[in-house]
Amino acid sequence: MRISIDWLKEFVNVPSSTEQTADMLTMLGLEAEQGLDTANLSDIIIGEVKEKIKHPNADKLSLCQVFDGNNTLSVVCGAPNVDTGQKIAFAPVGSVLPGDFKIGKAKIRGEVSKGMICSESELGVSDEHDGIMVLNDDAKVGSSFVQYIQENAPSIELDITPNRPDCFSHLGVARDISVKISSPLHSPDYQPRPFTKSEVEDWISVEFENIDECPRYIAGIVKNVIVGPSPDWLKNRLESIGQRSINNIVDISNFVMMEMGHPTHMFDYDKFGSKTVFIRRGKKGEKITTLDEIERKLSPEQLLITNGKIPVAIAGVMGGLDSAVSKETTTVLIESAFFDAPTIRKGAKSLGMSTDASKRFERGADPNGAENAFWRVIQLLEEVAGGNWVAGVADPYPKIIEQKPIELTREKLDLLSGCDINDPFVLLTLKGLGCTVIGKSKKWMATPPSWRPDLEREVDLIEEVIRLFGFDNVPSKYHYNGIMENHEPDPHKGLTIMTSVLTGLGFTQVFNNSLQSSREVSLLDIPSVKIMNPLSDKMDQLRTSLIPGLLKTADFNVKNGEPDLLLYEWGNVFEQENPGMAGIVEKLQLSGMIHGLLHGESVHHKKKRSASFFALKGVIESFLSRLQIQNILIKPDKDNDYGFQNAFSVEAKGNIIGYFGDISHQFVSGMNLDINQSFGFQFDLNTLLVLTNKTVKYIPIINYPVVERDLNFVVKENTLVGDIVSTIQKNGKSIIKKVEPYNIFRDESVGENKKAVALKLRFQSNSKTLEDKDVNSVINEIIRVVSKIFSAKLR
Amino acid sequence: MNIKESIESVRKLFRTDSDPFPIDYQAVETLRIKYLGRKGLVAGLFSRMNDVSDKERPIAGKLLNEIKQEISSVFNSQTGSSKSREKSHGESDYSLPGLTFPVGHVHPLQQTMDDIKSIFMNIGFSVAYGPEIDDDFHNFGALNFPPEHPARDMQDTFFIDSETVLRTHTSNVQIHLMEEKDPPLRYIIPGRVYRNEAISFKSYCLFHQVEGLYVDKNVSFADQKGILEYFVKRMFGANTKMRFRPSYFPFTEPSAEVDIWSEKRSQWLEILGCGMVDPEVFKSVDIDTDIWHGFAFGMGIERICMLKYGIDDIRLLYQGDMRFLEQF
Repeated sequence: MRISIDWLKEFVNVPSSTEQTADMLTMLGLEAEQGLDTANLSDIIIGEVKEKIKHPNADKLSLCQVFDGNNTLSVVCGAPNVDTGQKIAFAPVGSVLPGDFKIGKAKIRGEVSKGMICSESELGVSDEHDGIMVLNDDAKVGSSFVQYIQENAPSIELDITPNRPDCFSHLGVARDISVKISSPLHSPDYQPRPFTKSEVEDWISVEFENIDECPRYIAGIVKNVIVGPSPDWLKNRLESIGQRSINNIVDISNFVMMEMGHPTHMFDYDKFGSKTVFIRRGKKGEKITTLDEIERKLSPEQLLITNGKIPVAIAGVMGGLDSAVSKETTTVLIESAFFDAPTIRKGAKSLGMSTDASKRFERGADPNGAENAFWRVIQLLEEVAGGNWVAGVADPYPKIIEQKPIELTREKLDLLSGCDINDPFVLLTLKGLGCTVIGKSKKWMATPPSWRPDLEREVDLIEEVIRLFGFDNVPSKYHYNGIMENHEPDPHKGLTIMTSVLTGLGFTQVFNNSLQSSREVSLLDIPSVKIMNPLSDKMDQLRTSLIPGLLKTADFNVKNGEPDLLLYEWGNVFEQENPGMAGIVEKLQLSGMIHGLLHGESVHHKKKRSASFFALKGVIESFLSRLQIQNILIKPDKDNDYGFQNAFSVEAKGNIIGYFGDISHQFVSGMNLDINQSFGFQFDLNTLLVLTNKTVKYIPIINYPVVERDLNFVVKENTLVGDIVSTIQKNGKSIIKKVEPYNIFRDESVGENKKAVALKLRFQSNSKTLEDKDVNSVINEIIRVVSKIFSAKLR
Repeated sequence: MNIKESIESVRKLFRTDSDPFPIDYQAVETLRIKYLGRKGLVAGLFSRMNDVSDKERPIAGKLLNEIKQEISSVFNSQTGSSKSREKSHGESDYSLPGLTFPVGHVHPLQQTMDDIKSIFMNIGFSVAYGPEIDDDFHNFGALNFPPEHPARDMQDTFFIDSETVLRTHTSNVQIHLMEEKDPPLRYIIPGRVYRNEAISFKSYCLFHQVEGLYVDKNVSFADQKGILEYFVKRMFGANTKMRFRPSYFPFTEPSAEVDIWSEKRSQWLEILGCGMVDPEVFKSVDIDTDIWHGFAFGMGIERICMLKYGIDDIRLLYQGDMRFLEQF
């Protein structure tokens, strides 16, 4: 809602600068937005035109002497309105205007010009470009234009929250100011018109299909109007808030809405088509062409104004073109109605429409405001358009809407505010806002005004009192009554460790979009959750895996010259396991990938080293070891469902906690990515969090010496070294501490299809110094078992 | 001196000579020749093996091997393998880059989230999480967004079906918490939320939020101010200028927004929304509004992160650009 300062002044005293008014409104909850982008205006200063002569070589140009506070400069200006003595916005040489327009020293028709006198459009203040912007006489020469415009801006843009329909008008905004600064509110000067004999029945009557959807509909007639341009005062008012003047009749309706907040509609009575206004729901197959010349298909979702036969307007949204006021109009049918808010919202939404009128109705209009606006319109139609009011009002209003009184207690006010707001302030505030109040202290009964549908409960009144008191005037309390008994540790505590381990291992964290395209999602055979109203078809599904996002990130970095990547992400993935919301499963996952080189050639590394399966496996082993997740089991996972080839599952305590392997090439080709072979992992994060949520128990350090022995077995090529290692561990009695393969050797001496596996074995006893005989008996047993199981021979 | 004692004295001598280990290449070579050279001290010890009795020989042999290995390993670890040393004098140039160990980076969003969590956990808030896909009741209805209320337009919503949404705020977890637990309650709720908004430098289709909920018997607007002031000053510095201004959220009454003053931009910047829990919210979860009161607040982690680090385009947070992430 754009508010003109000048217009506001009709109803209330406002602070001298626009900036102060804007701040006050913001602190009242009517957030003033920075209407003007001042970022590009910092170079502009205020200058004074000291002298103006005609340009010697050009008829339409002037040669001005502009004083900028320090120097007087020659400036060529093409504006017709430039004159001696004016304070102007001056762009010195070197300054940049909005649109990256740089001011340089120029020679214009033989005369040097050192700067520019700006128009409103050049400054971005308005669209006005016919002349320069002339500033107030008291503007200080040499000072910043930005400061000037903030103090003197003619209007403010307010962001009105949905609970304040009353502030969609100058009068409503003025009311809040008047209460804040305890200054009287002046209402517009008009009166309901008395009449002795009602004649309007001969012209029009009103009927309803459902009174709940339109509790009040006021209709009236003004005849003999002369449609034409609006007088300047009316035009200026509308233009000051960015509205286009159309003709006097339409302008009056818009003016009253901006002044008092209530939307009215003007029909051309002669084109209305009947003498009955009938308000009803739309029917399937009905159509109307609205004022914006768009044909709308109607349905029972909209409430309509009809002439008993065909629709003439979409109630509370927009009028129809056929019954609109035009140059030929002589008799006007005025509608000032009060519609049910949800009905209008549904109707407007079903047509994808949002208008000045619908915005006001769907937030809750004022049933009494409908009447006020009606009389204001009648007054202006007579004054401005020369019409004659047909005595009487068609205003069937069977169920009068009344505000209920609300009790406000001192006790509750003190409890919720946490501070002391005195009785007179409470009373003055509530009355100032329009409430009828009974009671002076301790307890008040306040009946809110008809224009405040948001005031329904005690807490709503308390908000009003604190709001006007000023949130900043409520003292902060730093000694709140804390309670400790329900305190719980962070369920994501383990994530802190995981993040730090992965960082230490060289991984960088990313956050990727959860929304993906069908194509990306289809690369995995996991049923995905679809979005009904996506932003675009590139983001119409929820991710089923973190891998595609990681790959896209990798691709982005490869394209930007960084191919060596260790990345990870944690977050939710989604699966539509069964139909409906109950069938949606959210899974918290942790995934990572490696791509490119682990390290390149350097003075320290003679050979570069690429990401590999074993690098990935090492990462996983280190990661899980730091998390104290022990005894993990790694098994081949042939038909992996999560996009890994050469895949393996990781088991802990009998459950699969994750997978790793080469990232399947189907992603790379399916998403058209520019990346090489990459290796990835995926963990169920919730399981990891459970597994890490335990306290490590210290095991005493053993100080008995370690005995090392080497064994070198020749086995068949297809024997898994891991199987040999675990066999040795199983048969190492209690003294085997570590088995480490350190060399694998193949040549003719070993034999065809054979390999020699050298292992280092470490033995240590918990209770004594091991002697040769202790170790030898174990070693012999190990050799026996390994030889038997793997048909191995000692080398 | 028997052989054992001799070995021990060479060991001691080497420890003195090699600590600190020389940097200069020539000095290293001199040291090496002194101990490991053909006529060096270790070779000298080996030459005495002939004099050792058969009985002592295995032990002496073992000790000799040990000291040779020990000294060699010091040279190896200090200078790299002997082969590369012969090829290059590089090791004596301390200005060469060190042997790099990989180091990763924690996303600025994660760092901000962790900061916010720890600030509130320090004053006794617990942490809770909840679903990103939720029903209309938990995301809207119970939070006093009636059907067909314009407040619903404040948050552009992604729908899964007419009754299921991608949550537009983590306030849905407020409702889950109050359904599951009895007050008093004191929680913060971090998580990912979604808005159906066109992607630009200032908005993304999803972001992260930290919601706060505090329910107790005597909780006032003044308490809320105190706690949020504590937060803002811990997050942005003790001298941060801030203000509370009235606003509107369906689930709080009174509602406020908190701005902090940016000297650099010379303007107020909105950082969080808050308010006293609306009685309608308590009613929807059967909490007695005569006994319990509370306040709730919510902030966008992205916004706070961007302010803190001076990031001017929200999309950078989701692009995974290493040139960006490496800075954190």
